[in-house]
Amino acid sequence: MLKQDVNELLTRTGPGTDMGDLFRRYWIPALLAEELPEDGCPPVRVKLLAERMVAIRDSEGRYGLIDEFCAHRGASLWFGNNEVGGLRCAYHGWKYDVTGACLDVPSEPENSNFFRKVKLTAYPLVKIGDVLWTYMGDPADKPPLPEFEWCLVPPDQTYTSKRWQESNWLQALEGGIDSSHVSWLHSAGLKNDPLFKGSKGNDYNLNDMRPFFEVVDADGGLFVGVRRNAEEGRYYWRITPWVMPAFTLVPPRGDHPVHGHFWVPIDDENCWVFTFDYLPARALTGAELQAMKDGHGVHNEYVPGTYRPLANKDNDYLMDRSAQKRGETFSGVKGIAIQDASLQESMGPIVDRSKERLVSADSGIIKARRKLLTAAVALRENGTVPPGVDPAHHRVRSASIVLPKERSFLEAARDAVSVIPGVPQTSV
Amino acid sequence: MDHRPILASSCAMAATAVEARFRIDAKPQTPRNTSVVALDEGAMAVVRELAGQKWNAARFLGCAAGADGPDGAGAGDYADLQLCTVDGERVRLSEELAEADFVMMIATEGRGAAAAATIGDACTLRGIMTAGLIVGTNGESGAALTALRPNARVLLVTDDEQDATELLAAVGA
Repeated sequence: MLKQDVNELLTRTGPGTDMGDLFRRYWIPALLAEELPEDGCPPVRVKLLAERMVAIRDSEGRYGLIDEFCAHRGASLWFGNNEVGGLRCAYHGWKYDVTGACLDVPSEPENSNFFRKVKLTAYPLVKIGDVLWTYMGDPADKPPLPEFEWCLVPPDQTYTSKRWQESNWLQALEGGIDSSHVSWLHSAGLKNDPLFKGSKGNDYNLNDMRPFFEVVDADGGLFVGVRRNAEEGRYYWRITPWVMPAFTLVPPRGDHPVHGHFWVPIDDENCWVFTFDYLPARALTGAELQAMKDGHGVHNEYVPGTYRPLANKDNDYLMDRSAQKRGETFSGVKGIAIQDASLQESMGPIVDRSKERLVSADSGIIKARRKLLTAAVALRENGTVPPGVDPAHHRVRSASIVLPKERSFLEAARDAVSVIPGVPQTSV
Repeated sequence: MDHRPILASSCAMAATAVEARFRIDAKPQTPRNTSVVALDEGAMAVVRELAGQKWNAARFLGCAAGADGPDGAGAGDYADLQLCTVDGERVRLSEELAEADFVMMIATEGRGAAAAATIGDACTLRGIMTAGLIVGTNGESGAALTALRPNARVLLVTDDEQDATELLAAVGA
C-alpha cells in the first residue's frame, strides 16, 4: 500500500516532476538503432518523459533528438525533409540541425542572421549497441555514457526489441523486480518456450512454488535473491539485479541467452519496454535469433509496421481459453512478454497503489519504491546524484546458481553478478 | 475467441483511465495482525522507534531479559519464548502468535539466532508468514543473516531503518 501522494510522485515523469527530474539524470533508451537505419533517413517521432520530439540521423550520420514542432508555426517536423545537414520543415522550409539549431529561414532576406536566434530544444542521441540513448537533463550534469553489458558485447551476441506497453512505467518495472510471478504466470513458458525450456533450473522453479526471498542493497539499486530447494543441503538461487531507475535483468536458464528489460516512460500512461537477449561469451545461434524475431522468449509479435504487440488490449490479447484449459498457458495469453503486459495493463493506466494489499514477498518492490522516493527527494532537496548514474553501477549480471544452504547468496555469487568481459554467465 | 466482447467495459479495453473511475471503491484492507520482534538490543531501539508510530494492528516486542533462548516445550510441541512489549509487559510467544498473521523479526547481529529459530519454527507450525529485517551492513550483519535466513521467508538487508516502516506500512500492519 502506498499513499496517493507518493504514488503520484513515483509515477509522474513529465517536466518539472520529481520523478521526471530523477529520470533526467540518466541516459535512457530512446529508440532502436534500426529505426534510423541510414544517413539521411526519414525522422522518427519519439515521445519520452512526456516530451514530444523527433529523432533524426542527418546526411553525415549524426544523431539528434529535437523538439517535434517547428519554432515557426508549431507544425510537426516529422513531415520534414531530411536534407544535407539538417531537417527542413515541410510547412515553410525552416531547417534545423541535430542540435536543434536553425540553419535556414527561407522567408528572411538572403543575408539575414535571424536564423541564428532560433533554436529548438534538443537532446543528445548516441548509438550504443542496438539502442539509441538520450540524456534529457541539464547538460552540466550529463553523466558518462552507459556501460550495460548487453550493449557492449559484439553485435552477434546481442538482440534488442521494444514494445509499447499501455501502462505507467512503474507497474511495468515492478513486474521485472517481482520474480515470484514466474512460477505462475509463465509456468507453461518454462516448459515450452524455445528460449526458456530444458534447463535444470526450470525443474527447481516448478518443484518449489513457495520460494524464500532476500533483498539486498546494491550501489546502483538492488539485488533480489530468490531461493528454492535444490538437492539435499543446497538451494537454487535466482538473482535479479535492478539498476536505478529502470533496468532489470532476468536470471538465466541453462545456456539460453540472458534477457532483461529497460522500462522507459513515454508519458504517465504509456511506456516503452526495451527487451534484450545477450550472451557474454558466445554468438547467438541462428535458431536463437530467429526465435527472438518470431516473438518467443521475452520478445513478442507485432502489429505489422509498428512496435505495438499483435496481442494487445484492443483484441483482449488474443485470449485463448481452450489453451488455458489445456494448461498450455496459465492465463490464456500466449507469450511471456504479453502475459506480463496484459496483466500490468489490466491494472489500469496508473495503478492505484493505495488499494493494493502487498505481502512481505513483495519486499523487492517495496524497497525499490523506497529507493526511488529517497533518491528523488535527495535530488530535489540536495542535488544528490542518484544511484545508477555511475556507469560502474551498470556492470552487473543476473545469475542462477546452486549453493550450499549456509552460503550467503551475494557473497558466494559476487563474481557471478559482476561483469567480467568474455566470461560466460553463471547459470543452471 | 468464440465469444467476442461487445462492450468496452467487458473486455481488456476497460483498462483505460476513464474505465478506472468505475472500479469498486471498497476499503482495501482489514488490518493484518503483525508482531514485530527485536532479536537483540540494537534491534530493540529500532522497534521502540517503530512503536511510536501509528499502526492498524501491529504489536512491538523484544526478547525478554534473561530469556535469551527458548525455554523448552511450551503450550504445544515446540519450544516457547518469553517476549516483552516495549511497555515492559511480558508475553509468551505462543500467546503472541495466537492472533498473528505476520511476524517480522529485526536483527542487527547474530546473537538472536536461537530466538529466531524458535519464532521461525512456531510460525511455520501455525502457517504464519515471517520476514526478517537486518539493519546495518556492518561486520555483525553477516551473523544476523545467518541467524535469520533459515527462519524468515523474506529477508531484507538494509542500512536504512526506515525500511522497517515502509515494509510494515506496505503490508497494512
